[in-house]
Amino acid sequence: MNQVFNFNRCLLLIAKHWSENRKKYLLGMLAITGIILAWFGFYIVMERYRPMDPGVQYGTYYVGLFIVGCLYASTLFADLSSKSKGTNYLSVPASQLEKTLCTLLYGVVIFFIFYTLLFYFADIIMVKVGNTVAYSYWETNHSPAAVFEPQKVVNVFWTDSRPGQGEFNFLFYLLLCYFAVQSAYLLGSVYFSRFSFIKTTVGLLFIWLLLIVFVGKILNTFMPDGSFYESMASYRLNVGSDISEKIIRLPEWVNTGSLFLLKYAFAPIFWIATYFRVKEKEI
Amino acid sequence: MISIKNLHFSYKKKKVFTGLSLQLSAGHIYGLLGKNGTGKSTLLRSLAGLLFPDKGSVEVLGHRPGKREPAFLNDVFMVGEEFYFPNVPISFLIKHQAPFYPQFNEEQFNKYIREFEIPADSTLQNMSYGQKKKVLISFGLATNVSLLLLDEPTNGLDIMSKSQFRKVMAGALDEKKCIVISTHQVKDLENLIDRITIIDEGTILFDQDMERIANKLSFRISYDQAEIKESFYHEGSLKGTAIVTENMEGEESKVDLELLYKAIVTNGQKVQSVFNA
Repeated sequence: MNQVFNFNRCLLLIAKHWSENRKKYLLGMLAITGIILAWFGFYIVMERYRPMDPGVQYGTYYVGLFIVGCLYASTLFADLSSKSKGTNYLSVPASQLEKTLCTLLYGVVIFFIFYTLLFYFADIIMVKVGNTVAYSYWETNHSPAAVFEPQKVVNVFWTDSRPGQGEFNFLFYLLLCYFAVQSAYLLGSVYFSRFSFIKTTVGLLFIWLLLIVFVGKILNTFMPDGSFYESMASYRLNVGSDISEKIIRLPEWVNTGSLFLLKYAFAPIFWIATYFRVKEKEI
Repeated sequence: MISIKNLHFSYKKKKVFTGLSLQLSAGHIYGLLGKNGTGKSTLLRSLAGLLFPDKGSVEVLGHRPGKREPAFLNDVFMVGEEFYFPNVPISFLIKHQAPFYPQFNEEQFNKYIREFEIPADSTLQNMSYGQKKKVLISFGLATNVSLLLLDEPTNGLDIMSKSQFRKVMAGALDEKKCIVISTHQVKDLENLIDRITIIDEGTILFDQDMERIANKLSFRISYDQAEIKESFYHEGSLKGTAIVTENMEGEESKVDLELLYKAIVTNGQKVQSVFNA
């Protein structure tokens, strides 16, 4: 039998995880739905004129996704901080790859699908409720020429962020950012035995701060006078006292490659780091 | 089956093993004794692949435990002193945990559960510590793995359960299995183990077959002051003075593990000299 990956063993692991956590997951799903419904309900009460406008729906989906997704990720390897639970986890006769894949399946894929489904379940209901409330408010308060415009359920994965300037779906990048940040919390759950969420948040903020200092204070002192122009692979130099311009361009693949890495590499790198960190974990 | 060579291990600055070597083979129940903090649990965790040696090598069933390969993990089971059970009924344990162990025998598991008098329909989280431990021991035995590691298995068990434990363990051994029991409650292992290994200060202080111990040492009550003075270890009891001395008559003596342990800890070199002769 393959010692790295075996499909049947992986299925056993997935079934075992579900059997041990199903009560917790079902309660979690109820809690997420309840919180979204309560938040939308509160917003409808506070904003009767335009409740459930697209901004609120997008905002709720993404703020919730980041908070709940990262909180959940920071608990996924919490077992390893306990001697008894960690022993139980590491002693299960499955490979580390299978165990990591099972965790990623629940923590990344299934969580994302179910969070989105639960959001839409609450959103569809509350958009209808919001429109009913808004219409009754509009009936008594509108000017004679006004037309009632009901709110629609938004597509949380698509928006045109620059109307008229070429299609740009900002939400796609927000989603990529979410997967990268969530994967960092997943890695944090292996590194930090206690207060993993808080410690990872502090760690990420620290790294962010270092990056700003590095780019703003250190990198800029090595770069000639000028600025990046159009892309990461071209730099506009200010030359001489007449401030004439000179543009230095690196090959296009540098720009394409860097963008690709920035967009897609963070999450897989953190997942791989998580795999190796768990593999070398001792209890 | 188990080969440990020159094992070095430390927790940060605290050295636990400094060159420990040990060979264990199938068909035996080994008793691992030692004071608190001498490395009994560390040794078991190293055998289970939960800790990695700093130096030296550990080989179990032809595998390096630290690699934690499925073929190794499904042939080794550890009953830890601290253990975790999810909040599921026993039937879930059989349905979702047992399939990972190819040799698992459900009938055997149910037999052990009955012997330990555990209600089969109970949820694990509603059980007492002792009951959970008995379920874990039953599960471990029913996996029929080649190596069963038990760390302080009788801790938390009541008097009746301890004798049930001895009975169950005695019937579980066959020539393909190796059982290693670590404990400081030596009385619980009497009539159960067939080899005793005592660890102290990270090294093996004593490692002998029970049969050989029974041939070489004598455990008895004495009233003879000269004999008491000459003994490897003595302590007062209601019946007289219990002593450990060299077995000169050649008759097999019933080994008192507690006395043996004390004799080795207090007078190890003299005891060892009997076996080296």
